Formats: sequence, structure tokens, C-alpha cells
Amino acid sequence: MHFIIGGAYQGKRDCAKSRFGIKEEEIMTCTEDGEIRFDAPCIDRIEEFVLWCVRNGEDPSELFRRNREKWKDSVLICRDLFCGVVPMGAEMRAWREAAGRLCACLASEAETVTRMFCGLETRLK
Amino acid sequence: MKVLLSGGCKNGKTGTAADLALRLAGTDGRRIYAATMIPYDDEDRARVSRHIEERAGMGFETLEIGRNIASALDAGPDAVYLVDSVTALLLNEMFSDPESAEADPHAVDRCREGLLRLAAGAKHAIFVTDYIYSDAERYDSFTETYRKNLASLDRALASVCDIVIELCAGIPVFHKGSAADLTPGRES
Repeated sequence: MHFIIGGAYQGKRDCAKSRFGIKEEEIMTCTEDGEIRFDAPCIDRIEEFVLWCVRNGEDPSELFRRNREKWKDSVLICRDLFCGVVPMGAEMRAWREAAGRLCACLASEAETVTRMFCGLETRLK
Repeated sequence: MKVLLSGGCKNGKTGTAADLALRLAGTDGRRIYAATMIPYDDEDRARVSRHIEERAGMGFETLEIGRNIASALDAGPDAVYLVDSVTALLLNEMFSDPESAEADPHAVDRCREGLLRLAAGAKHAIFVTDYIYSDAERYDSFTETYRKNLASLDRALASVCDIVIELCAGIPVFHKGSAADLTPGRES
């Protein structure tokens, strides 16, 4: 699995395509409605799925672990949303923590970890 | 040499940019500080005077230029330009019509065109921007559009700059180019 991380609009999806050969139609784009296909070649906006989990009492790290076989050869993309000030709202706080934990978990499983910054890649692992 | 400096608030971006400008200008080269913030209240004015004080003795000519950044090039292609900041420039361009509460949808294209023209026309230019993309918050659509637009300008500049630096607690992290590129005699 290749894991791409970075802030909003930093070029993560472009990196999945240019670096890992993913095609637009292969990308599962998560929204806060909770739908996810763990066996998609590329899962983008995992942070949105995390928000759904937070709202519905699910543990996203646990769900990913349970489906490991399906995504172990995929490209996973998550926005790093855990660098700012601790949010005032409890839901945003829980979102931030759950996303942070999931990213650490995915990064440890990943063959490569790439951080995107202003469209530029840094290989972290 | 073209440099993009990004990072969080109060991480030393302006100070680092000013040092770089001095280094690129040499002892007697012209250095233009393109100040893009348009002060609206006392807090803004206090910040402007603090910045002016910090630059005193560094030999900058200050150019107050809230919009149309490419016109800074009137100072000539050989000066070192320090644009501080892309963030404020975009805000000014998005609200260029004081009569309207709506953001100008063409502002980002205008900014990009102007910034790239400055980058192409100047021998040395340093652009300061802000990294505002890694927090957990749901923003209103205006703020989200603003973030998206600023990221688009950052990426356009990053692709034409020789060096892209993220300042973290005053420490430079090089995302493009390296510290060696900044050694005198090696700049393009």
C-alpha cells in the first residue's frame, strides 16, 4: 500500500495519478455519508470517512485493520487535519484525533509514505 | 533565483525572506519590499509599523502594492523583489470592489498571472505565503474558496521557483532546491 498525506489542495490526488499510475475512474472518493469501497485501487478523502465514523460511533482504524486484505495493494490518501489549533467543537476534536490515529496506523502499514506540499512530494518512508 | 517561502504563522517567514533578499542583492543591489497588506484598522497599522521597524537599516525600498503585483516590476528586472505576502494579495484581489460583498471569481487568475509575470520578469524574487491547510475545521464556502485559491497560487509559484522552503519554528525545510543553492555565486 502506498499512503499519501498532506494538507488540503496540496496535490495528493495528482500524486496518486502521476506517481502511482492511478486513473481518475479508479478513485473511490469518500464523503461524510460513510460509503467506502476498501478494495478500490485508490481511496481518497479518507478523512471524510473518518468524520462519518466519528458521528456514527465507529472506529476507523479498526475498520481499516479488519479490511486490510482489500486495500493492502492500493493507494490511500488522507488529508492531515491534525496540525492546527485544537478545535472548539467536540466533534471536530474527535475527528482530528481519529484522523491522526488512523494516519499513524496506515503509515506504519504502508510500503511508502509521501507527503505533499505545494504540489511537491516528500518521501517520508 | 526565485524562492517560495511558506509555513505557519510567526515561524520567521518574513525575517528569513528579508535575509535571503539581502544575500541575493549583494552589497549595493536594489531590494524592493512589496508590501501587499492594505491596513484597515489600528491593529493592521501597528503591524505595518512593526514590520517597517524590523526592516530598518536593511536597505529595502518599500512598495505598498495591495493589487496588480506585476506592476512592481516598474522598478526594473535587476532588483530583488520580496513579495509579502501572497496571502494578503489574494484577499485584496478577491475583494477589489469595496461596493460588493461578493468575492471576485476572477481574482485568483489575475493573481496567478501577475505573480508568474513578476517571477518571470525579475532576476530575483522571494514570495512569502501562508500554510493554512492542515487543520480540522469545516469552513464556510467563502473561506474554503479562499483556501483553495491560495493553494492554487502556492502550487503555481512552487512549480516556477528554484527553491521552495517550509519554515517550521524558524527552521527551513527544503521541498525544492537545497541550502547549497543559496550560496553566493551559485544563484541563477
